[in-house]
Amino acid sequence: MQMTRRMALGGLAASTLIAAPAVRAQAPVELTFNYPVAVGGPITKVIDGYCADFEKENPGIKIKPVYTGSYQDSITKALTAAKGGDAPDVAVLLSTDMFTLIDEGVVVSWDELPGVDKAWTDSFYPGFMENSRTGGKTWGIPFQRSTIVMYYNKDAFKAAGLDPETPPKNWAQQIEYAQKLTVRQGDNVTQWGIQIPSSGFPYWLFQALTTQADVRLMNAEGNRTFYDDPKVAEALNYWRDLVTKYKVHPPGIVEWGTTPRDFFEKKVAMMWTTTGNLTNVRANAKFPFGVAMLPAGKKPGSPTGGGNLYVFKAASATKREAAVKFAKFLTAPERAAQWGIDTGYVAVSPAAWETKKMKDYVAGFPPAAVARDQLPSAVAELSTHENQRVTQALNNALQAVLTGQKETQPALAAAQAEAERILRSYR
Amino acid sequence: MSAIPTSSGPVRRGGLDLGHWLETAAAWLLAIIWAAPLLYAVWAAFHPTGYAARFELTAPLTLNNFVAAWHAAPFPRYFLNTVLLVTFVTGAQFVLCTLAAFVFARSRSRWMGLLFALVLVQLMIMPDMLIVENYRTMRALGLVDTIFAIGLPYVASGFGIFLLRQTFMQVPKELEDAARVEGCGTWAILWKVYVPLARPTYLAYGLTSVAYHWNNFLWPLVITNTVNTRPLTVGLAVFASTDQGIDWAIISAATLLTAAPLLLSFLLFQRQFVQSFMRAGIR
Repeated sequence: MQMTRRMALGGLAASTLIAAPAVRAQAPVELTFNYPVAVGGPITKVIDGYCADFEKENPGIKIKPVYTGSYQDSITKALTAAKGGDAPDVAVLLSTDMFTLIDEGVVVSWDELPGVDKAWTDSFYPGFMENSRTGGKTWGIPFQRSTIVMYYNKDAFKAAGLDPETPPKNWAQQIEYAQKLTVRQGDNVTQWGIQIPSSGFPYWLFQALTTQADVRLMNAEGNRTFYDDPKVAEALNYWRDLVTKYKVHPPGIVEWGTTPRDFFEKKVAMMWTTTGNLTNVRANAKFPFGVAMLPAGKKPGSPTGGGNLYVFKAASATKREAAVKFAKFLTAPERAAQWGIDTGYVAVSPAAWETKKMKDYVAGFPPAAVARDQLPSAVAELSTHENQRVTQALNNALQAVLTGQKETQPALAAAQAEAERILRSYR
Repeated sequence: MSAIPTSSGPVRRGGLDLGHWLETAAAWLLAIIWAAPLLYAVWAAFHPTGYAARFELTAPLTLNNFVAAWHAAPFPRYFLNTVLLVTFVTGAQFVLCTLAAFVFARSRSRWMGLLFALVLVQLMIMPDMLIVENYRTMRALGLVDTIFAIGLPYVASGFGIFLLRQTFMQVPKELEDAARVEGCGTWAILWKVYVPLARPTYLAYGLTSVAYHWNNFLWPLVITNTVNTRPLTVGLAVFASTDQGIDWAIISAATLLTAAPLLLSFLLFQRQFVQSFMRAGIR
């Protein structure tokens, strides 16, 4: 409820900012804007507010937001509609859907659109652009982007005799801290040291570990993966050892969706999850909590995640022009800052962090800046051609190893072989 | 057993009791396994979020989750949409399937076998595979974002035709002949002889059809764009936003809200449902 109110307030606050007088009337253009939440959620109010504000500023343009469910549902809906000759004009879809959208031939690169200059596409954090550019073209504009951070329970740190202001800095400390934080009663564990979710899309969290082990999972062309690199195995062994060797991480598959809940209920003292959860954690944690950059292995690192703005090919020239205006409106520093504050997503451009609003927010709530400070070491989220199948191969390997069904080497080798088979035709 | 030789009566009853007891226990076990998620949903929905994963008899009861869920999405509109949808689909299926099944059951044309096989082919194809083709059709008809479009692809149901044809085939020819002697035309025979005799089939098929369309998600999501046309399932997806974490209490409350009408009607219908089958069996 609290979140709802804050978001509604955010929408209101944003609407008062824009009092620019109407420009001259143009022929009305209607843009369909697909946005990946289901109807009625608190975020829809913010998005509705943005659309209304934009229409006020640009009287010739109407925005029709269509709420399309989860990211998975959204890409299905967008592709189905595009094939059915009814593509949306603008859509927020996963940054990792880039290759899929290009291969399906349904999106147009931003460089080809009227009114797009390099200064604008370069104004975003390079870490976010890694997943938005390929082959020298910009296909996506970062909008709701995130990275993985570590949340920890300061009370639990104190109880374990650790300094609540110094979270673990590296892999060795992470194990050491987790051991101290794991509370056992007989054979039962009442509080786990650390939890890294492994359901749904374990590859994303795993990618943090591989980045820290100083290895990349795929190339920039999205047609080759490196699942069988020894450093990848090292990263996976680290994760598995947390479970089997050190016994500081719950066994089996850890649910992504309920991990924050486990944190609130003090079943786990440190959790890895998206910065998109920051507002949720702030509203629901009944104890002082800290947010930290992920501990470094050979180096620090995390993948980015989240959604980009795409423009569809089917959009007419006037619609494309309007789409650029709309994207510039959504990513303007003031609005990007407000959006970040309302949702916990990382504001996408350095300029947004320089706004007064954002500076005030960070001054009052320093954890908000952790994700930004981690960005220099951030890498692109795993994304290739035939993304679903290629990542699924890795997901299966990860889950098989974490549940003890397979050994690390053969599992990763099998995943690599599968990815090779799929990607060979794209070289 | 031989330790109780006093009278044979109690021993036999004891044996019977044991079998009966086992049967009852097994039935209860299955029932509990089946009902466990539902019971959990009831527990989580009526207690504050903190108790979602803890069981304490003294936990405070609350209706706040229902209030929060109700306000998170325009549920009245979704309910209306879903009811309109299932009424339209099931109604249209009954009419179309009855007519088709009657022809397949009673026509003597030698092409019937082939045609019927073609209808059956539909059972082998997952509806989800046809999503793009269906979307094109709906767009060509100008029906995108209408409740009509959600139901239309399902109206000609191969399963319904198959089920009704099998039932109609079992109707004795003598009944039809007798009706004809009484002066009934083909329409009257269909309406007064076949349809009443197939009532249990209609009920069974109607229930499965309603349940399917009540729960269908992907196609309604793809073909609709606005609150005015979206059914409950799509509305329920609001609560599954994994980016922000899942609140089991509210999601349970919302699930109960959306499932309640269906659950209640099944419970109410159950007696009639079983009785219909029994009556059909006795004949």
